[in-house]
Amino acid sequence: MIHFALAKGRLAEESAALLEKCGVDVSVLKKETRKLVLESADGKYGFFLVKPTDVPTYVESGVADLGIAGKDTLLEQDKDLYEMLDLGLGGCRLCIAGYPARRDALTSPHLRVATKYVNTAKRVFSERGEDVEIIHLNGSIELAPITGLADVIFDVVQTGSTLKANGLVVLEEVFPDITARLVANKVSLKTKSDEILPLIAALKEAVS
Amino acid sequence: MKYRNLPFGVQDVLPEECRILDEIKRRLARKFMLGGFEPVSPAALEYYDTYSQIRNAVPQEHLFKLTDTDGRLLVLRPDVTLAISRIAATKLGGASRLSYFADKWDLQSAGGISGREIYQAGVECLGEEGAFSDANTIAFAIECLNEAGLKGFIIDVGHVGFFKGVLEDCGLNEAESEKVRALINAKDGLNAERILRKAGASERTLNTVLALPTLFGGAEVFDRAESLTENACARRAIAHLRKVSDLLIRMGYEDKICFDLGTVRRLSYYSGIVFSGLVKELGAPVLSGGRYDHLADDFGGKIPAVGFAIGLKRLLIGLERQGNLPPEQPLDAVVCCEVGAEELAYRTYLALAAEGKRTRLRTDYAAADASEAAEVYLATKEGVKRV
Repeated sequence: MIHFALAKGRLAEESAALLEKCGVDVSVLKKETRKLVLESADGKYGFFLVKPTDVPTYVESGVADLGIAGKDTLLEQDKDLYEMLDLGLGGCRLCIAGYPARRDALTSPHLRVATKYVNTAKRVFSERGEDVEIIHLNGSIELAPITGLADVIFDVVQTGSTLKANGLVVLEEVFPDITARLVANKVSLKTKSDEILPLIAALKEAVS
Repeated sequence: MKYRNLPFGVQDVLPEECRILDEIKRRLARKFMLGGFEPVSPAALEYYDTYSQIRNAVPQEHLFKLTDTDGRLLVLRPDVTLAISRIAATKLGGASRLSYFADKWDLQSAGGISGREIYQAGVECLGEEGAFSDANTIAFAIECLNEAGLKGFIIDVGHVGFFKGVLEDCGLNEAESEKVRALINAKDGLNAERILRKAGASERTLNTVLALPTLFGGAEVFDRAESLTENACARRAIAHLRKVSDLLIRMGYEDKICFDLGTVRRLSYYSGIVFSGLVKELGAPVLSGGRYDHLADDFGGKIPAVGFAIGLKRLLIGLERQGNLPPEQPLDAVVCCEVGAEELAYRTYLALAAEGKRTRLRTDYAAADASEAAEVYLATKEGVKRV
């Protein structure tokens, strides 16, 4: 049996639709249920519905053989797993955004960056040799520059309408193609290759 | 109450697990001995410089550091192979087959099945080179996992020369090469492609690098790999793997091996074949190893070498999930004793133990209870009787 870690929510629905195209029996995913572990009727697949940021953890440990996770999450967590396919779902960009001109430039010599992607932000700015202050937030990141908590934000931007509505602009596109990726456990890919490889081939076909 | 706790990432091994661990160690130690290996036990503390000055330095964020009385920085051994290589080069004059049971420490391990104190069993064949030496080491790895009782494992074999050769043709600087290596290791072709295009790699080279993540499976991958590149170093790697594969098939291990040319590991003192032992019950390798012909250069020796290490905790988890743990060993005998018959009880215990029976001498003067063990004895002033 192949175990799949899927991110709860919209991505799970899109993932399920994609898997269905590849001949995976996903009818259990369509039923209204509070169960967290679901098994396909043919007994070939098990699905775990987990928080999006937890998908890499399940796959790295091997509890799940495959998973579908956003590239933003993968960048942030840097887990030891295989990134097999770009599924093209949920496309957005990881950007630095803020007001067109910086305020408080004299009293805060370090750029203050609000983000939920602390590790990625640290890496991005340290690679440039720039000292910054990273402010970890869990949501409503756009609020940080508006309230003066931070100078800029480092966050995913989909349409940019939230930014625009608040007078903010994209200052720099750092990672342009943040999409959902199919990830695989490094051991499962070899030990369950008979089951996993045909599925990956089918998914590749479906997204190309 | 905090003084009673352990820091994260380390564990006490409690009796039930420790008994099983000891049994596995006994099996492996015997296997190592029968394979002609000499045991060594490296020191746990070493100088920080030993690991920071060598070419494949251990990144300092992974080192447990302490300060010596003279102010010099010390580390807890971060890698056993490095320590063995140092010992062989500085104290044993080169060629030797060495085995060990030793801890290594990693400040950064993530928890779960990767602790910060990692107990390993391993062997190093120092002063041996060539395809037969590689095949023999892989065969011995298979023997060891069999001996430990693990079922259904496979050994995944790669060669660092293939990737190195292919990358030579890309015109990347060292930092870019390292980035591409990390991306290929994650089978992330997309971002690897971006870096390679920027560096102006040729279309053919690009296709080869991007094919790397798919170059795994049986011996048929060699043909595919060969068709992808003319690079001499990469071709040599494939030719070598073919030889190793052929030898392992002749040794009877065809169903135990598979190949992955996209294996490009982080710890990069490896110079030739690399391999890991995989089992489907566990999401991480139980065994890993490879050839490191130039590591000893850093310690003043020239010793081609190949070896592997088994993660004993992972092996135990794998065995437990498979239901292949060694069976429980209950007590064979219990000797109870009445006041005044202590020396008789003690002699009875000595005699039973001498017969090889696991015997517990009860010192609490408890009444004999026949349910305690297969043989229960009671010593009184009148003599010993079996209950």
